[in-house]
Amino acid sequence: MRYWLEVYRINLRVAWAMLMQYRFAVLIWAVWGFVGPLVSLAVWSAAAQARGSDVAAGAQTFSRGDFAAYFLVYMIFSHLTMSWDAFEFAYRVRTGSLSPQLLRPIHPIHADASYNIGFKVITSIVLLPVWVVLFLVLHPAMPAPGIHLALSVPALVLAAVTRYVWQYALATIAFWTTRVDAINQFYFVLDSFLAGRIAPIALMPGAIAVIARFTPFWYMGAFPVELALGRLSIDRALSGMALQAVWLIIGVIVFRLIWASGVKQYSAVGA
Amino acid sequence: MNSTLPSLAAHETRADHASAIVHIHALSKTYRVHERPAGLGASLVSLVRRTFKEVRAVSDVTFDIQPGEIVGFLGPNGAGKTTTLKMLAGLLHPTSGDATVMGFSPWRRETDYLRSISLVMGNRNQLNWDIPAMDSFLVNQVIYQIPKREFRETLDELVELLDLGDLLTKPVRGLSLGERMKCELAAALLHRPKVLFLDEPTLGVDVTMQGRIRRFVGDYNRRTGATVLLTSHYMADVTALCKRVVVIHRGRLLYDGDLEALADRIMPFKVIRLDVQEQAAAERLALYGEAVEVTGLKASLRVPRADTPAIVGRILAEVPVLDLTVEDPPIEDVIDLLFNATDSDGSAQS
Repeated sequence: MRYWLEVYRINLRVAWAMLMQYRFAVLIWAVWGFVGPLVSLAVWSAAAQARGSDVAAGAQTFSRGDFAAYFLVYMIFSHLTMSWDAFEFAYRVRTGSLSPQLLRPIHPIHADASYNIGFKVITSIVLLPVWVVLFLVLHPAMPAPGIHLALSVPALVLAAVTRYVWQYALATIAFWTTRVDAINQFYFVLDSFLAGRIAPIALMPGAIAVIARFTPFWYMGAFPVELALGRLSIDRALSGMALQAVWLIIGVIVFRLIWASGVKQYSAVGA
Repeated sequence: MNSTLPSLAAHETRADHASAIVHIHALSKTYRVHERPAGLGASLVSLVRRTFKEVRAVSDVTFDIQPGEIVGFLGPNGAGKTTTLKMLAGLLHPTSGDATVMGFSPWRRETDYLRSISLVMGNRNQLNWDIPAMDSFLVNQVIYQIPKREFRETLDELVELLDLGDLLTKPVRGLSLGERMKCELAAALLHRPKVLFLDEPTLGVDVTMQGRIRRFVGDYNRRTGATVLLTSHYMADVTALCKRVVVIHRGRLLYDGDLEALADRIMPFKVIRLDVQEQAAAERLALYGEAVEVTGLKASLRVPRADTPAIVGRILAEVPVLDLTVEDPPIEDVIDLLFNATDSDGSAQS
C-alpha cells in the first residue's frame, strides 16, 4: 500500500510539473468544461420560462432554479469525473510512444490515473472561484446539505473511477485499430445522452429514460448529481452505489481481458 | 569474391546453454501488413476487399548469451535487430519460438523481469520531455523501488561518468541530442539492470560523444558484470565493445562468433599501405599483391593474411619504401561484403 501511495505521490508531482508547463492549454481545457452544461442550462431555462411553469416528467418537476442546480452540480461533477485517455492512448499506440511505459515494472494506467487526478486538482483550484460566481449569479435551487449530499461524495468517487476504467478499456481497442477516434466519438455521444449531460434523464422520452438507467453511463454521470440534489431516495442511493460497484467490477474485468489480449497485438511502431 | 566466403548458413554453436543468461530458440516474428497499390481506384477497392501481406521480420533465430558478455547484434536496416530486441524486452510477442532472459519469458512482462532489464533506443525518447531529467529519475527511484542510499550512490556515479553536471535540472526538450542520450542512459541504468539492450545508442551524436558513451557502456559492463546486447551501425562501437557478434540479415541468423574470426573468414587478407620514393617503384608493387589503389607515390596492396610477413619482407628488401603499414580490412567492408554476398547468394533469404 505504501508503495502505491508513493507511486501516486511522485506521479502527481510530475503531473503538476507538466501542467505548469502548459498553463494556458490547461486553462482552455478547464473552461471548455463550462460550455456544454451552460448551453444545456440556457436551453432548459428558456423552455421552463416559455412554459411559464415547471417542466414535469412523472413524479419529477424541474423549475428554472432546479435546472440551474442540476447543470451547475453536473458541471462540477463532470469536471471531477472526466477522462480523456481514449484519445491519448490511441496516439501513443499509433506512434509507438507507449513502449517506454510498457518497459516499466508498473502498469501504464497508474501514471495516467495520477495525471488525471493532478489535472483535476489543479484545474479545480482555478475553477473554484468561477463556480462560486456562477452559483451566486444563477440562483440554483439547492437543497439544504444533508445525508444526500454526504452520500453523493462516495458516489462521485465511484463514478470517477468507473468512468476512468471504462474509458481505459475503450482506449485499449487502439491495440487492434489505431484509428479509434470514430469509436470514441460514438462513445461520447452515448455518454452525453445516457449520462444526463444534455438533459436530466427524467425528462427524456420514457423508453430512453428506462434504458439509460440500465447502462453504466447514468451511474458515471447523473446518478451522483441527482443524489446530491436529493432527487433519489436513500434506498435508491444505496442500491445505485451497489450498482456502481458492479459496473466498476465489470469494467475492471473487461479492461483486463482487453488489455491481456491487446498488448499481444502491440507492434511497437518505430519504438 | 564469393569464393572467399564461409558457409553462411553455418554459425558457431555455443555450448553451455545451461549457464546462458539469454537463451533464444527458433524465435520468429511475422507482421501482417495491409497493402494496396497507389491510386483512387485501389483505395476504393481496399474499402471492401483488404489484402494483407505477411512480413517475416525475424525467422528462426537461435543464439545464447552468457552472463557478462557484450554481444554486437549486427545487420542492415530491416534485418530484424530491433524486432528481436523488442521481443527480448517484452514489448512484442513472438509469432513462434521461445526466449528466456534470466529465466523469465520476456513477453509475460513480469514485474521482477522488468526491474532487471533496460532497453535504450537511440532514436526514441523515453524520458518525459516536459520536465527535467531529474524528475524522471525520481519517478524511476519510486517505481523501481531503489533504496535512497543506493539511488544517491548510483546517481552520483552516473553524473560523474557521463558528465551530466547541470543537465539534470533542464527540461529534456531543451537538451541537445547528445545531452539527451546521456540522460537516457542514466535513466536506464539507475536501477542497475542485469541485462541491457542497447539499440543504436550512439545514433546521431557527434564523434566525441560516441566515444564517451562507448567507454561508459564498457565500464558499466566491467563494474557491474551486466550482460549487454548492442546494435549499432557504427562499427567503431562494435569493435570497441564486442568480442563476439551475432549477424542477422532478412530476419535470419548469418553468423554467431568472434568478430575477428568473422573478418578472417570473410576477408582473409590484410591491406599493406605504402609510401615509396619513386613512381616506377609504385608501379612495380602489383607484383607483390592485388593493388587496391595507386596514387602517385602512395599505394595500397591486398595480400593473403598468411603470406603477409613474407611479402612485407620482400617489399622492404626490394622496393625503396619511405613508409609501410599493415592493416586489417575495415570491419565495415567485411560486414558489407557479408550482406552483399548473402543477397546475391540467396542463402539467407526467406
